Amino acid sequence: MRYYVRKFGFYLAALWAAVTLNFFIPRMMPGDPVSILMAKLQQRGGSVNPEARRAYELLLGTDTGEPLAKQYLSYLGNMLHGDFGISVSAYPVPVSEVIATSLPWTVVLVGIATVLSVLVGAGLGMVAGWRRGTWLDSLVPATTVLAAVPYFWLALVLVAVFGSALGWFPLIGGYDVDFTPGWNLDFLGSAVHHGILPALTIVISSVGGWLLGLRNMMVSTLSEDYVLTATAKGLPDRRVMIWYAARNAALPSIAGFAISLGFVVAGSIVTEQVFSYPGIGSKLLEAVQNNDYALMQGIFLVTTVAVLGANLVVDLLYSVIDPRTRAGANA
Amino acid sequence: MTTLDVKDLVKDFRIRTGLRGRRLRAVDHVSFTLTPGRTVALVGESGSGKSTIARIIARLERPTAGQVVVQDDDGGRVPDRAYRDHVQMVFQDPFSSLNPFHTVEHHLIRPLLLHGRARTGAEARKKAGDLLERVNLPARDIVHRRPHELSGGQRQRVAIARALAPGAKVVVADEPVSMLDVSIRLGVLNLLARLQREENLAVLYITHDLATARHFSDDILVLYRGRVVERGPADEVILAPRHPYTRLLAAASPDPEARGRSFDIDAAAVVAAGEAPAYDHRIQS
Amino acid sequence: MTDLGPDSPAPRRAALPRLSPKLVTGLALITAITLFGVAGPLLLGDPDAINDIGLTSPGGGHVLGTTQMGQDVLAQIAYATRGSLYIGVLVGVMATVLSALFGIVGSYVGGVVDEAFSLFSNVMLVIPGLPLVIVISAFVPPEQRGAWTIAVVLAITGWAGSARVLRAQTLTLRNREYVLAARVAGEPAWRIITVEILPNLLPLLASQFVFSVIAAILSEAGLSFLGLGASNSSTLGTMLYYAQNGFALQRGAWWWFAPPGLIIALFGCGLALVNFSIDEIINPRLRAVPRRIRHPRREPAPVGRPSQDVVVSVRNLSVTYGNTVQAVKDVSLEVRRGEILGLAGESGSGKTTLAYAINRLHRPPAEVTAGSVTFHHRDGGDTDVLALPSGELRAFRWSQMSVVFQGAMNSLNPVMTIRAQLEDVLTTHRPRLSRHDRRARCARALELVGVDPARLRSYPHELSGGMRQRVMIAMAMLLDPQVMIMDEPTSALDVVVQRGILREILRLRDELGFGIVLITHDLPLLLEVSDRIAVMLGGEIVECAAAEEVLARPRHPYTRRLLGSFPSLTGERGAFVRTGEATGGAR
Repeated sequence: MRYYVRKFGFYLAALWAAVTLNFFIPRMMPGDPVSILMAKLQQRGGSVNPEARRAYELLLGTDTGEPLAKQYLSYLGNMLHGDFGISVSAYPVPVSEVIATSLPWTVVLVGIATVLSVLVGAGLGMVAGWRRGTWLDSLVPATTVLAAVPYFWLALVLVAVFGSALGWFPLIGGYDVDFTPGWNLDFLGSAVHHGILPALTIVISSVGGWLLGLRNMMVSTLSEDYVLTATAKGLPDRRVMIWYAARNAALPSIAGFAISLGFVVAGSIVTEQVFSYPGIGSKLLEAVQNNDYALMQGIFLVTTVAVLGANLVVDLLYSVIDPRTRAGANA
Repeated sequence: MTTLDVKDLVKDFRIRTGLRGRRLRAVDHVSFTLTPGRTVALVGESGSGKSTIARIIARLERPTAGQVVVQDDDGGRVPDRAYRDHVQMVFQDPFSSLNPFHTVEHHLIRPLLLHGRARTGAEARKKAGDLLERVNLPARDIVHRRPHELSGGQRQRVAIARALAPGAKVVVADEPVSMLDVSIRLGVLNLLARLQREENLAVLYITHDLATARHFSDDILVLYRGRVVERGPADEVILAPRHPYTRLLAAASPDPEARGRSFDIDAAAVVAAGEAPAYDHRIQS
Repeated sequence: MTDLGPDSPAPRRAALPRLSPKLVTGLALITAITLFGVAGPLLLGDPDAINDIGLTSPGGGHVLGTTQMGQDVLAQIAYATRGSLYIGVLVGVMATVLSALFGIVGSYVGGVVDEAFSLFSNVMLVIPGLPLVIVISAFVPPEQRGAWTIAVVLAITGWAGSARVLRAQTLTLRNREYVLAARVAGEPAWRIITVEILPNLLPLLASQFVFSVIAAILSEAGLSFLGLGASNSSTLGTMLYYAQNGFALQRGAWWWFAPPGLIIALFGCGLALVNFSIDEIINPRLRAVPRRIRHPRREPAPVGRPSQDVVVSVRNLSVTYGNTVQAVKDVSLEVRRGEILGLAGESGSGKTTLAYAINRLHRPPAEVTAGSVTFHHRDGGDTDVLALPSGELRAFRWSQMSVVFQGAMNSLNPVMTIRAQLEDVLTTHRPRLSRHDRRARCARALELVGVDPARLRSYPHELSGGMRQRVMIAMAMLLDPQVMIMDEPTSALDVVVQRGILREILRLRDELGFGIVLITHDLPLLLEVSDRIAVMLGGEIVECAAAEEVLARPRHPYTRRLLGSFPSLTGERGAFVRTGEATGGAR
């Protein structure tokens, strides 16, 4: 119980920190983003009603003479309502709507890629640690090269080979524009087809970390007495490997999930750019190129919430796998 | 003549269970005095509070209540900043009590310089060599070695030399031999005894082993759950134990002469034994 | 008392990594690329010089061809490598300093400071880094976005992971006895941190530094590729940005976009290889083990039973570690039915190795080089244990011979319930047993050792040390084995608890009639409870006789010395005590 309270409390604190960071960053930076934004808006023929201007000012800060604390409170109120202002690059669509259409693409892509990468990486790492001294040891240096390859460069190479040269997969986009998005087979098939290369990029780049982490912990865990006891009990090798060694060896990897996820999210943003994937990463860059500060901040917040949520789920999972956390020891 | 008085020491730990905290009394109103040339043994099982008392005396832990007072030769109270000139400690695990990164010399020179026993590096190095000779270690061979190049017994000797380096007159030895191989334990205990005689040290010997407590100390205090349940001269406490818990401990110790005796000890008896009122041989015999 | 074997730490000398092929390759890659980045710009001319030859493939005057503006790609890469390395090292240094500050100082000071620092690091850790960096960079006008700005932003968003690792390690170090000893000696806090703790964190700091350099180079490349990098410097990322915008990919100009990525990958790979070597210092268990030595399958050659009551015969057994250290030398031994055979010895005497080899539990590099172990079944038939194929060996283990290990705390799997661990034995060895019977048997086994069957649902951490060891004993007799090997079964426990457990062991032995090999350094205990005692020294059995015999007439000088090491509780105060150093002495 204590564990859960602590965890929820922590993620609330992290969320608050992110929201606050979002409030202060534009205020601490040089330049006047609100004016830039307004100018952009006028270029696009947008009318600047006082209400929209006020929303921007709260978001980005400008010299209105209003006390900072008051600005902050109003800003928090807007955030609570999901009111991130109006996107300039997609004028006059509200930021929240832009995010809503692009978020599912990224969540599905990153989600599937992460699950695949964990399964493959942890699986290989488990076997490599268990059978140390065999050819599997050579997997380890091989994966470090993959982990050191920049995501976008790997994406470029994959596109060059499988897209341009071999023509197996489409070069860019999230689906074939001939189909209408929705729950129909044509569209889904097209989306999967388009998603394979981006997902492959993420999986290849992130699999090494999981492999190495689990392999090293396996090696340490194998010298624990309970593994020796399991062997002495005459249990089949598979059972000793999975239930006695790997279950314990996986704990630090799971606890370190936050770090891995951070890298994957970073990688996916760049990867989306290479593939012009209709996800949240592409939108973020679009926003950057158009000085669409409102959209930028909205995306940062939503990404943060998603990452925090994923970490919370993993933490809850951890407490299921490791009974000791539930006992109320320090989490 | 440095003496150390432990007066009515109490230590509570907060334990977190669920959302609420709970207090655990680790040391419960313990008092005793360490005097020069004498050894007091603190005997108890794990969780009896014996190590907590050692840590409080070494000022690694603050007591919840009570105090530890050191008086120097003139009977004046030693001020806080000079406390560590007088009181030093030997730790249990010779494999972790020396820093693996540093040489034997480092471990001795630092306290010598810190406590003003040597003013220059050269003087400190010379005194470090002397200290090693005092604990029967070949100084020239080992001053530049690192802990992992020494055996467990050698390391514990270095640790003893380190405790003596500040010129301390009160030494707390927390299970100093329990991590050593059995065949070298007596050697280390005898070394401590010899140094005690030569320097007229006051020693607090903390152990779970009744036999060495009897042979290497003058007085014994038996601890159970933070309380002193029996105290008195070593032979009286061990040979004529009056408190049921002391008897239980004595009965549980392996005894080669008592083959085939019954082993009946149940948990309830242990708890019941602990509840009995304390016995003080000095007053009650 | 534990046989640490080859992984006892040897710092300082071990603070320098061993020269392994991995390390050499890694260092070579790093050196080559660094040299290229430092010296290349001086030798290769102006990277921005525009030529009217346009996009040219490699050859002729341009080793790696040109860009679409006719600029020499090789010269550009040299400059870009320098730029990337510069930012990487800059971020590495800053992030390591930040993580050391928050990780080490916080956890040493403890209390509220630690809580606050730790909360702060964890928050920084879960907030996704790159989106934050992108947002920050986007707010900084391009003309103010220099290499330093980018480096500072990357350092601020990248230190938290290392801080967490350092904090965990510092928390264990600050309670090491040498740190406590330094406090008792009166060392000031800053000196304890810098002189006593920091040196022992060096390998970890080095590995975190290397890791931040890799991460920084990769992040910077990503940022520049997005057009958000440093505006005044050229890095491998900006090069890729221009390559992408110049449609290098679409025009098949692989020489333009492939080499920059490859350099990042090779440099990262070099750093990672160096990190492996550092990891092996931090965790010596990771050092590669020699390959399993495969021996030709032996034909079973069981030793005939010497007499009806012998259950295990060990003949001339030798065990070596990696062909160099002989841990067990030519040992012969018999275990009889229903007896307690005490195996006494100090650390390094080979007693544990011997016991493990009897059940073939020794692991590489330990290897049986000679001798045999024969198991004599109670209903006739002999088994040559060392020749059993693996399937039969698994069936043999636990059903005929079970083991109780010394780590009372660690013998049970911390993430499985007691029931699951007991039932594992039955589902493997008695697969036909119904679920109901299985549960009943587990409950009965616990009752036999005096543990409430309700504990079946508990996890190991919910039991006391004594209770855990009782559970282990219950598990060991679940299949009614003929021999139980017990390795220091009670050494970690208090004497009163120890007594209780010994009582159960003796009672069960009387009821079920299994033989026990009891390994311990506690000679008085063996003298009291065992039937026969074998004393081991340096891998050999120097004396083996009935317990009374060993006590009354020890023959070997080492046995006498061991006996003399235990002062008697109630006997005379011997001459050896408190007289100086008559016995023992430095070893």
